[in-house]
Amino acid sequence: MKYASAEVRKQFFIEMFTRDISLEDCVLDLIDNSLDSYLLKHETSISQLVFGTDGNPKADDLGKIDVTCNERQVKVVDTCGGIVRRRAMGEVFCFGHDEDDQRGKLGAYGVGMKRALFKIGNNFHIVSRTPKEGFEVTFRLDEWAETKEWNIPIKFIEGADLEKKAGTSITVTELHNEVALRIKEGGVPNNILDDAATTYPYFLGQCVRLRINDTDVNPEPIKLGELHGVLRAASEKFEQDGVKVTLAATVAPGQRTAEEAGWYILCNGRVVVRADKTNLTGWANELASFQPKYRSFVGIASFESDDPLSLPWTTTKRDLNRESSVFIRARGLMATMSKPILTFLNSQYSSDTTVEVADIRDAVGGVKEVSFKDIAAKPTTGFLYTPPKRKEKRVEWVRFQADVSSLDKVRRHLRRPNMGAGEIGKLTLSHYVKTECGE
Amino acid sequence: MSTISSSYRVQYDVRPAKQVERRMLVDALQRLAAAGFPVADYQYTGFGAIYFVDFILFHKALGMSKLVSLEQVKSLTSRMMFNRPFSCVDIKMVPASSEIPNLSRDVSHLVWLDYDGVLQKDFLSDIQSAITVLPAGSILLVTVDVEPPEDHDYRLVDPHFDSSKEVLGPKHWKRYFEYHASSYLKLGLSDTDFGKSELILRSTEILKAAFTKSIVARPELQFLPMFNFAYRDSHSMLTMGGMIAGRTEKRQLRASNIRETVYYRDDFGSPPFEIKVPCLTRKERVYLDREMPCADDWVPGDFDLDPEDIRHYRDIYRFLPTFAEISI
Repeated sequence: MKYASAEVRKQFFIEMFTRDISLEDCVLDLIDNSLDSYLLKHETSISQLVFGTDGNPKADDLGKIDVTCNERQVKVVDTCGGIVRRRAMGEVFCFGHDEDDQRGKLGAYGVGMKRALFKIGNNFHIVSRTPKEGFEVTFRLDEWAETKEWNIPIKFIEGADLEKKAGTSITVTELHNEVALRIKEGGVPNNILDDAATTYPYFLGQCVRLRINDTDVNPEPIKLGELHGVLRAASEKFEQDGVKVTLAATVAPGQRTAEEAGWYILCNGRVVVRADKTNLTGWANELASFQPKYRSFVGIASFESDDPLSLPWTTTKRDLNRESSVFIRARGLMATMSKPILTFLNSQYSSDTTVEVADIRDAVGGVKEVSFKDIAAKPTTGFLYTPPKRKEKRVEWVRFQADVSSLDKVRRHLRRPNMGAGEIGKLTLSHYVKTECGE
Repeated sequence: MSTISSSYRVQYDVRPAKQVERRMLVDALQRLAAAGFPVADYQYTGFGAIYFVDFILFHKALGMSKLVSLEQVKSLTSRMMFNRPFSCVDIKMVPASSEIPNLSRDVSHLVWLDYDGVLQKDFLSDIQSAITVLPAGSILLVTVDVEPPEDHDYRLVDPHFDSSKEVLGPKHWKRYFEYHASSYLKLGLSDTDFGKSELILRSTEILKAAFTKSIVARPELQFLPMFNFAYRDSHSMLTMGGMIAGRTEKRQLRASNIRETVYYRDDFGSPPFEIKVPCLTRKERVYLDREMPCADDWVPGDFDLDPEDIRHYRDIYRFLPTFAEISI
């Protein structure tokens, strides 16, 4: 038997592997690392963040992540607890996880940080300190690429002593030309800020404070709506292969743009897909193609697992693995839940402007914001619309034109020449009711 | 459901083949009940229109009392309410797509999507929804018209179609089915595969694919085929259906004697059970009934009848209604 070479080459990781991810998503991968450190250190569960009680954590308790992005360097500094030496020595710099590795909640594949570093630049400096111990790594990608070894030089340093100071700092300098060019072009820090705001609504302000180039990132929550007694959101829950799935779909509150409409998909609380209106979530397939009249539609699909590899996200965390059995099941439910909402929204645009249509428009306009956790806490249901009960009319306007000669006849008959037309109308109606209707 | 309700077009209670189908379903459900399925406790959701024939039958013959009739043509509301046969029939003026997600996951269901139109996207999407939410043990039936799509159906696909210049044919019907069910059709079909007589086969393939595709999302369950009826009163119709089953339900179904019946179809690949109602006088029926069930080669001695008709009659005589005019 002869054997052909099937060895791994460093160039694959450096040149190929980095092409499928944007610069912005690379920075988000580094932020994921910081978040993972925080979650690990504080033993925070994803359920607590997404469905837990609203706490107002003290600003001091929040981890801090500061991102600096300019054409000279990309730097992510956090106070999220740091990385222990054992993990640095055996896990953190490996490509892919080993079975025994301690997995984070957001780092599923063990590639994000390395891919980000390789994508961004040539010179890396990583310092991480837990309260008790620390390490430092400095290396140049071009030099590392030339060696056959897969090791990275590491130096042990003192710990941070204080919990508050424990954290990790990753600095990439000597940025690759194309990366420096993109940053010079402008817009990258803004993109990172916008992406982070929509990707981490369940983390920002709850466990960390994030700043990009000294600007605070405010979370952009996914707004769901209900109208008490009139509109109720659809919700579903199931668990499969160790993944807990929670789905909610409804009408969003307030004025909406088509850009905001669609499905939001969370994997361990991180928004992986935002406002999706493609066939990924059933649109233009099981559902109608998206049209602006559906702009109030909003849905959240949350996938949660202690083993992030079971989640249906791809390595870029910006798309879903359509072959995932848990996603296939969720997708069926998502389409089923969405249909009645689309039918409902569509009925606002009926050509007959009936009372029913007006009620539907009022209901859409009156929707109030409700949280994902509140919807998830209620028993599962399909989308429900209960038209408001109308009060029985007690009075109604009667308005008509009458011949003056007829009105004068009544005036003469009653000997009241100044009697008004309205009064005559009332009197004649009342007379008819009394004499003809038996009252 | 088409937007013009068939309530306006079809006198539901006097369609012999349809009635045979309903009675065969009752027979099947009685057999399932005997095998341990709590059929009387199932919720029946169907399209009762203004006649409620299936509702009356299922309530009286099977004791089902959770009954929900769906209708989306709002102008029928008062007639539906007026014709509601029992207080236990809940009438909901909503399309199936709005009601299916609300079906309780705690009871077993019999859902009959008894459409009166040619297959279209919405039907497939309702099937997908039903299979996604119905609990194990539930039965889903789907009926579609398998006549060629008509001008008004085709205009959805091509709004510029002008029936005064062009007559619809297999080329158009192919386009119609591709528009509504492209991902459910086999690859490599040509226009001739959409000839009038082929449409039942195409519809069967599409419905089979819809059942199979939808159950994939629930790996712990299977969709077990049970029914595949083809019949014709005024239009050629197809009813396919089966059970959403886990291991227990599969074992229970295998143990039931439903498999012995002539109409049972546990494989959508085999030909459908064709409900053919021979034209017979009342006197002939009484004569034939005395010999039923007859031997394969039996023929009546007193009059001539096509042996095929006798075979068909033998299959359905237990289920065939007798219509008579009465003066009230």
